[in-house]
Parts: sequence; structure tokens; C-alpha cells
Amino acid sequence: MRPTLAHRSGTALAVTALLAFTILPVYWMVTSALDPQAGARGGSFLPSGFTLDHFRFVFDEGGFGRFLANSALVGLGTILLAGLLSLLAAVAVARFTFRFRTAVLVMVLIVQMVPLEALVIPLFVQMRHLEMLNSLLGLTVVYLAFSLPFAIWMLRGFVAAVPKEVEEAAYLDGCSWPRMFRSVLLPLVAPGLVATSIFSFIVAWNEFIFAFTFLQDESKYTAAVGLHRFFGQHTNDWGPVMAGSTLITLPVLVFFVLVQRRLSSGLAAGAVKG
Amino acid sequence: MATETRVRAASERPAPALSPAARQARRRRTIRPWLLLTPALLAVAGLLMWPLARVVWMSLQDYGLRQIVSGETNYNGLANYREILGQSYLWTTVLPNTVLFAFACVSLTVILGTLVALLLQRLGNTSRMICASVIMMAWAMPAVTGTYVWIWLFDPLNGAVVHTLGGLGIVDPNDTNWFTDRLSFYAIATLNVVHHSFPFVAVTVFAGLLTIPRELHEAGIVDGANAWQRFWTITVPSIKPVFMVVIILSTIWDFKVFVQLYLMPGGSGVNRDVLNLGVWSYVESFAQRQYGMGSAIAVLLTLLLLGITVVYIRTLFRESEEL
Repeated sequence: MRPTLAHRSGTALAVTALLAFTILPVYWMVTSALDPQAGARGGSFLPSGFTLDHFRFVFDEGGFGRFLANSALVGLGTILLAGLLSLLAAVAVARFTFRFRTAVLVMVLIVQMVPLEALVIPLFVQMRHLEMLNSLLGLTVVYLAFSLPFAIWMLRGFVAAVPKEVEEAAYLDGCSWPRMFRSVLLPLVAPGLVATSIFSFIVAWNEFIFAFTFLQDESKYTAAVGLHRFFGQHTNDWGPVMAGSTLITLPVLVFFVLVQRRLSSGLAAGAVKG
Repeated sequence: MATETRVRAASERPAPALSPAARQARRRRTIRPWLLLTPALLAVAGLLMWPLARVVWMSLQDYGLRQIVSGETNYNGLANYREILGQSYLWTTVLPNTVLFAFACVSLTVILGTLVALLLQRLGNTSRMICASVIMMAWAMPAVTGTYVWIWLFDPLNGAVVHTLGGLGIVDPNDTNWFTDRLSFYAIATLNVVHHSFPFVAVTVFAGLLTIPRELHEAGIVDGANAWQRFWTITVPSIKPVFMVVIILSTIWDFKVFVQLYLMPGGSGVNRDVLNLGVWSYVESFAQRQYGMGSAIAVLLTLLLLGITVVYIRTLFRESEEL
């Protein structure tokens, strides 16, 4: 079947509309950040000029360097903890048949339903008692719990995709279980682990409610909280606000585009594979 | 399922038939998955389950600033629930906001995501990769920054949308503030949420589409089915589990949207017309210092989500014999 001209122009039109809708906010954010007259640009789609002043301002006056570093720290901590714990759990549910396996899977699905708004109240009280409210470590531990269920769900697809025969061959060659884990399974699921780690990083990087509720000192703010406080002081000062937004968004965009194919195949595998 | 039955049958075999070594190996096989699961289960129990139990416990108290400082308890039974459920505010404002908003977001997200997945399938490799990468940007954009950009686009003074529509003579820029009206407030929030969440549906459904054998569609064409019929009789049944999962997750996510509403002008409690259950719970706790009240609202939201989740999971299980 060769696509007709009408068919093809229809597709082209759909692609254009899709790209326009998708890119619009990103385009608007970046151009406003670079536009010397951002606050007064009105409906003009082309920036009136080019300046880095807004970026200079958010670093010098807004403390964004610190905020970004704090976010990176919390994100890396979350990756390390969530990566390890979710890999172990994913191997358990993808490789073993055991009693209550289905119950564990259902639990993984169900805990994703728990609203953060319900957890923020008791965890706030708890952290207050433990005097960990104002701590990046406390935040990291909380983020671990949020990224775990989705990470397990995704990784189990990657683990299940590794043919069982590979492991069996390793056993026949006299490989012990821990060694098989390290030198056979781990390299094969490494791409999935990378994708999952980046996902966990993004959860931590983007999270707002807990960081906003827990962190009190400006020196502890993560990027999302820093931007919010900054917006509060500079409402309608759109150039610097968009510069700050761009700084927070760009690293995530780069990461996401890098792993997007693995992420999407992992999601589908998690949905259809046992 | 078959392997599980076999394992169970094996474990019911009389013990003497097994040598000590074999029994030890079997015990190791049984314990190993639980060893692997323990750290994750402990984290989930300590940071999700235990707090959830505590929020229920707090919802039965008059828990204010005094109690948070002293740690004492002040039970008042179901008073918080009676107060919430007795208010017309819940029934006429918060619940409709929560449910209708979630319904709009889920339907639009799933429809748009599926259309994009079908579009991706039709594209050549290069343009598919470009499209996929670009829609990933929408997904990756943090909710906080994404929300600020949408606020900026709809800004009543200098926003691009007001200016463009004003220039066309459709609205009067001096007289337009979409953030104060409940319906337009939620229309902007819906746009924000759909923009942020359709890529997840698109890539997941697209990956599902790749698993459908080509022959099925070719057979459909031979049988004279048009594209619409082929979609409903071949595509949808083949990847029903994928659809189920994206609908479950989208529903759960959209019922508890917080950041996209809280950060909008008036969304943090100033304009009581625009609160949903999650934001109401938060405002009641952290702005009014009525933690018990906030907990009760949070429990209601959790019960609502639990109900939805259970219904979906049961359907999911009926669809596919095993998970």
C-alpha cells in the first residue's frame, strides 16, 4: 500500500501540530529567559534581543547555584538507594515464583496510588520529632520510597527480558548465585538500570511538596523550592523567573532524551511481561 | 500459573523423599526471593505504610499546633469527618473540582497519547525519532517550571495568549483574568497536566503497538475492515493490558494533582473555589495548622483512590490471567 498524497499531507499536518503544541512551553521559557524585555514581550513570538543578564541575576541574587547543587545531591542519593533496592526486588519478582508473588506485585501497583498529600502530614510530624526536617538526607530517604514502586515495576520488565537460558548456562558452568548476579545478570540489565536511575533522579529533582514543606533554611533549598521562593519575590519579573526555570529544566531534558527509547520499552515490558 | 502449581505440588511431597542437601537447596530457593525483597519492603513499610496508618490515627484527633509541639493526643472521634462531610463546600466545590478535573485530564491524556502513538507508528524512522524526542521534553519538564511557563503564557497583563487573542479582537485584554474564574482556572490546569502527561501514554502505547504482529492488520485489510474498525477489533484487544495500565496510572495521578494547582495564582488557598481534595488537605494542615482536619481530608482522598485502584486491578486481573 503506497500512502496517497492526502494521506501524507495529513500526517505532516498532524506532526506539525504535535510538535508545535509540545515545544511551545519550552520555546517560550527559553526565549523569555534570553529576551532583555521578557516581561513586556506580550504576544511577540520572536525575542526582542539576546542577553544573559537574567541568568547572571538568578545566580548572583537568587542563589541558584546552591539550589541546583542541593537538588543534584538529593537526586544522586536517591539513585544510589533506589537503584540497589529496586534491582534486588525486581529480580525477586521477575525470576522467582514464590507464594505471595502476585500479592507483592499488587502492592507495588497499589502503593503508587497513595497520595503524597496524605504522607506529607505524618512524615512532617515524624521528621520534626527526629529533627530531620531541615535535612537533605531526610528528603533523600523520603524520595527513595516514592521512586521505588515505579522503579521495581520498570526494572522487572528488563530483568524478565534477559533469557533464563543465559543464567542456566552460567549455573551449569559452576557459577555461584551471587557471582551470576554480578557478572551475568547485572551487565545485561545495566541499560535498564540506567534508565531507572534517571527516572528516580527526575522524581527527586522535580519533587516540590516535600521539599517545600520540610526545608526551612535557604541554604538547604532544592531547585524547585528555590524557584518558588524566587517567584514569590519577583512575581511578574518574567525574565529571571524563566531563566531559573530554564536552569532547572535543561538537565532533565537532556537526560530524558538520552534514555527515552529504553524508558519506553521498559514501561511496555513492565506492562505486558511477567 | 502452571509453574507455581508445580512448585506448590513439589513442596507438598512427603519430606523423607528428599535428601538433606536437596531440602536445604529448596529452603534456599524459598528464602532467596524474600531476602531480595526485604530492603524494598522495609522502605515501603516505613515510609509509605506506617505514615499512612498514622494519618488515619491523626484524622481522629483534634491535632493542631499544640499537639504537634507537645506530642500529646486529643481524640475527638469522627468529628473531623462529620465536619467535612457535613459541609456543602465538599459536595459543591471540592469534590466536583477533583473528579471532573481528573476525568477531563485522563480522557484527554489517553486520547491524545493514543493518537500520537498511532501517528508515531506511521512515521519513518528519522521523523519518528525526532517526534519521540520532542514529546519527551514535555514529559521531562518539571511540574514547577512547566506550571510557571503556563502561568506566564496566560498572564493577564503581558501573556502571549491574552495578547494574541486581544489582537484578534476575541477578548478584551484589560478585562481578562483567567485565573480568578473556576472554569478557566481549571482549563489552564488541564492544558498543563495533559501536556505533561500525554507523552507517557504515547510512548507506552507505541511500545505496545510494536508487539502486535503485522499479519493481524493485513488480515483485517483483506477482510475489508477500515482503519477505525481495525483499531477497535485488532489494536485495542491486542494491547488491552497496556491500555489498562496507562488508564490506571493516569487516573491515580490526575486525582492527586497538586503542584499544578497549588502554584497557580489563587491556588494555594486564597481562592477557595479552586481547591481540590489534595490542595484542600494541604492548606488545612499547613496554612491553618489543623493537621487533624487535613489528615481526615487526606484519608478521604486516599479512600477514593483506593476504591478506583481496586476496581481497576480487578479488571486487570480478569483480563490477563497472570500479572
